Amino acid sequence: MNKEERYDIVIIGAGHNGTTTAAYLAKCGLSVCLLEERPECGGAQETCEPIAGVRIQPHAIANYGGSAPGWEQLELWKYGFRMDWKAGAIVPFNTDRYMTTTDGLSKVTDKDKMGYAKITGLLTDPPFFKDLMRATFWCPPHPPHVELNENTIPFMQVYKQHQPDMWTRELLEWTMFDLMDEYLDTEPFKVNQAWIALVSGAHGHMEGAAIPALCSVATVMPPAVAMPVAPRGNIHGYYHALLRCAIAHGAVVRTCCPVEEIIIEHDRAVGVRLRDDATWGAKKIWANKAVISAVHIKPTFLEMIGPRHLDSGFLQRIKDLSLKGGSLYMTHYLTRERLRVRPKFQTPGYRYEDYGSFTGPFFPNDSRELYFENVTEVMGHQRNLTIPPERAMYGMVASETYAECHPQSTRPGVYINGPQWMLVPTPEYNVDGMDAMEDKVKWNEYMRKALSQVVENLDSDNIIQILGESPREQEFRNTGMLGGSWYGLRCDRDQWWNERPLPELARYRVPGIDGLYLSHQSSAHPGGLCLMAVGYNLMHILIEDGIAEPGDWWYASPWYIPEEGKISAIPNRPSSVSTR
Amino acid sequence: MTTDDIFGHMFQEFPENSEWDVVIIGAGPNGLMAAAYLAKAGLKVALVERRYEIGGGLATEEILYPCYSSNPHVIYHMMVDYMPVIKDFNLDGPSLLWIKPNAQTAMVFEDGKSLLLTQMIEDTKDSISKFSFKDAVNFGKVMRSWRRIVDEIVAPATYVPTMTPIEMSMALQKTKVGQEMLELIEQSPLDIINNTFENDRVRALMLYASCMWGLDPRETGIGFFVPLLLDRGMNKCYCYGGSHKFASAMGREIIKAGGLILEHAEVSKIIMQNRRAVGVELAEGRTLRSKVVMSTLDPHTTFLDLVGAQHMDKDFKALIDGWKYDKWSFYTLHVASEEPPRYKCDDPWINDAFMTIFGIESTEQLLAHWDNVVAGKIGANFGGHATCETLHDPHLSDKPSKHISFFQMHAPYEIQGGWEKKAKEMEEAVLAKWQKAAPNMKRENIIMTVHETPVDIETRFPNMRRGGIKHGDYKPIQLGSFRPNQECSSTKTPIEGLYVCGASTYPGGLVLGGPGYLGANKVAEDLGVKKWWKTTPEMDRYIKTYLT
Repeated sequence: MNKEERYDIVIIGAGHNGTTTAAYLAKCGLSVCLLEERPECGGAQETCEPIAGVRIQPHAIANYGGSAPGWEQLELWKYGFRMDWKAGAIVPFNTDRYMTTTDGLSKVTDKDKMGYAKITGLLTDPPFFKDLMRATFWCPPHPPHVELNENTIPFMQVYKQHQPDMWTRELLEWTMFDLMDEYLDTEPFKVNQAWIALVSGAHGHMEGAAIPALCSVATVMPPAVAMPVAPRGNIHGYYHALLRCAIAHGAVVRTCCPVEEIIIEHDRAVGVRLRDDATWGAKKIWANKAVISAVHIKPTFLEMIGPRHLDSGFLQRIKDLSLKGGSLYMTHYLTRERLRVRPKFQTPGYRYEDYGSFTGPFFPNDSRELYFENVTEVMGHQRNLTIPPERAMYGMVASETYAECHPQSTRPGVYINGPQWMLVPTPEYNVDGMDAMEDKVKWNEYMRKALSQVVENLDSDNIIQILGESPREQEFRNTGMLGGSWYGLRCDRDQWWNERPLPELARYRVPGIDGLYLSHQSSAHPGGLCLMAVGYNLMHILIEDGIAEPGDWWYASPWYIPEEGKISAIPNRPSSVSTR
Repeated sequence: MTTDDIFGHMFQEFPENSEWDVVIIGAGPNGLMAAAYLAKAGLKVALVERRYEIGGGLATEEILYPCYSSNPHVIYHMMVDYMPVIKDFNLDGPSLLWIKPNAQTAMVFEDGKSLLLTQMIEDTKDSISKFSFKDAVNFGKVMRSWRRIVDEIVAPATYVPTMTPIEMSMALQKTKVGQEMLELIEQSPLDIINNTFENDRVRALMLYASCMWGLDPRETGIGFFVPLLLDRGMNKCYCYGGSHKFASAMGREIIKAGGLILEHAEVSKIIMQNRRAVGVELAEGRTLRSKVVMSTLDPHTTFLDLVGAQHMDKDFKALIDGWKYDKWSFYTLHVASEEPPRYKCDDPWINDAFMTIFGIESTEQLLAHWDNVVAGKIGANFGGHATCETLHDPHLSDKPSKHISFFQMHAPYEIQGGWEKKAKEMEEAVLAKWQKAAPNMKRENIIMTVHETPVDIETRFPNMRRGGIKHGDYKPIQLGSFRPNQECSSTKTPIEGLYVCGASTYPGGLVLGGPGYLGANKVAEDLGVKKWWKTTPEMDRYIKTYLT
């Protein structure tokens, strides 16, 4: 009964990236087995109903991936993909927009809007926004022989071509703050953008990360990608379409199948051995062509491969990869009435019944000094927040503005508000201890106080229940979110693009182990955000290695540079149809 | 300028209007099954579901949020041995694993004594013999006959179109087993059990096990359920990874066969044209046109809300109006704990049992509790059943070595004093009673609790109206060819193009998979599509013996 199985491709982990990869490879006609340790697929793209009639997204919520080639290449509409257009976020530059600061509202000026439009590629004719996004996220890192500079880095090429006055060597060195100081106007708007970048992976203050950080914000900022914020059926609805695309093309899905070991024979990954609590026991599943690890890079090398095959110098570098900067504490509030913004923060035309818009308050956007105070607390001191909740920075999505036929709460008389997130220390590095944030009553109250700076009726009369989730719980649930990090690994310059996760692994291959590829947000450019990007980028490499042979539906990134001596991933078709 | 002009070609979405052979409303077990069979038969099938996830009752949910997934339908998989869908789609293999523990249903008493129904008859007899040797012998004897009734008649009949009561009596007369079943049908569950067993505790267990799904113990004409539910209650399977995996596996079969599943797609109406059902309209505005519409919802939702009374004649509408929901529902307390419950009792096997009943000391008390429930009350005399879901399945807890259990008891939809107030009170009472039976279930051991009332069941699954887990009461005039009524029990309805195949259609609910299978057969026949599947040998034997 314990029969071994054999496939062309074995993918470990059915989260967003493993599933995207499965869909691409199954569409190439390969036999694919997708293994998931949890009972259900989806990874962090999940929706749940902890209280009857009340839906929440424990992790990912917004669809950042609007510019992805995957929509066309994988044809997700065929598998039921729909959007909830009503739940679009605030348009940053075509309406009156205000930032919330301790002193009240700060108006976003025309200079802010025009500057933002310029740097995100919206002022040219035609706009180069989508090119900028695709160059930043949807292009594999260049091969090692290519020198990286302002002429070769994809997003620099885009600026060079479309907005030459922005194309300076410094752009590669800047932080997002530097960039915003050059082109934007008001401090609160800049702080707000930097903070959204912070909770989207690449932080606003990271050296040399100006454009990746900007793009992380812009890709979810409407109308950038047709207001891609809320898929119908929520973020798990997006996942359903992706998974079903893989299944429709023949991918085999196995859940409750944790992998214990990647089997390596003669320096080649040939399959995996399951853990003994897997559905059919600790059986082996063999891969003729490739084993793809779509789980976190640390367990991939430290546990599934280990010192049997790797030297301790390499393992040390894997251990040292930083999980910092992506751990979020998250709350949802069940209330009897809608939340009401304090008069001080009510924008002109504020209507209580419209409360929320999709983005709730992001607060306080006072100054970058305050931003740094928060960042220092979490990443410098690495301790539980001692900053008073009045000065703690957070962001919130308000669930009350989805389309009427897309209710987030069907429980009579109950409103669901959230999520609200706050950057907190990574449990693994927390000087107060790994479980220091497990006092949920305390931290829920801290979050409530922070939100109450802007909202006036978040009190015991109104609150029915607070659902809190700590980074520790997030990593228990999704082992791909090690350290509770939403991005798997810190998205700083040393762990991004050609250095994500390490320079020699940046092309998704593992030198010294043939047939093993990496496809997780922690192990591959561009990281997280459910972009269908890792799978797309990895396709270039698998084509180079002769594993994937896609049909006419495939097109390569226009900025992709083939590796010498390999098969080019650029289709051998007339150039007019080879790229978009 | 449109957004497309500014930003280039955006992603395409599922179209506003689409055409299908079959649209199925509701992705519970029956909807999934019907869709899987018909899609694989080459029909263009769309399955639309109101919730964010398929499965209906086949749910594994993070009710103990975060990190603990509950599996409230864990004890419902009683027909795995017979369901054609398991064999037809190879759902007992590497993608789906069924575990059938020997220790199935335990009952523990205040004095530390216990009873255990096991899959293996001699083990059950051993347990009963502690109370009455005579009952143990009788149990062996009746089960010999009852298992034949289940195996030869009731189980295969689940997947064969129903007959009228008269046809049924004539058919059953043909064999000795059939005659025995006819005798049982006439009796009430209480009579059958009182006539078979002498010991009161043995009677209490048997009564609980046969009536827990919603039979009225004093109602005559439903006696055949006693052998069915006792035998199947001794053969429950655990779906490894949680019951939703069963739904996911069927969902994959639909997709593999080219079908479509839409979640978060609430149907606002069934489109009628020239007195025919020709598709559905979703609340979001999209329409899916089709040759056939199959509804797995309750009759009121299907006919009154989605079709509309104006499309029915008066007599048919009266039949629909007369539909009655279950007399009781469930109150459930979900618990995450450090250790699994350990019951204080005289039999070590009890702590491995799939399900453990406690709080019930006698048949009199059990009947009084049920009478209370029907009258809208829960007294101090309540009892119920508990299951530790992680006993056979570590995957439900994301935190290693923690445990997830639930306690469930019969409860009224409308309770005196209102659930708002009573729910929390009940939680305390349940925990006190649980701790009495299993001393380690004290607060230090408990990480988290969440209760769900009958109203919550209805909120989660709106067509489990009034918390009714079977979409409608099991009573003689709502069973067999009367489920949901004589016009519709074949799954075909008087409305051309509209079929019904949910728990409110013959043979009923409890994850039998009967209505979905029968609906798929009927639609395949009516659309003239070749069936790729064959009846099981059990069904063939039944059809040969009784229907020809």
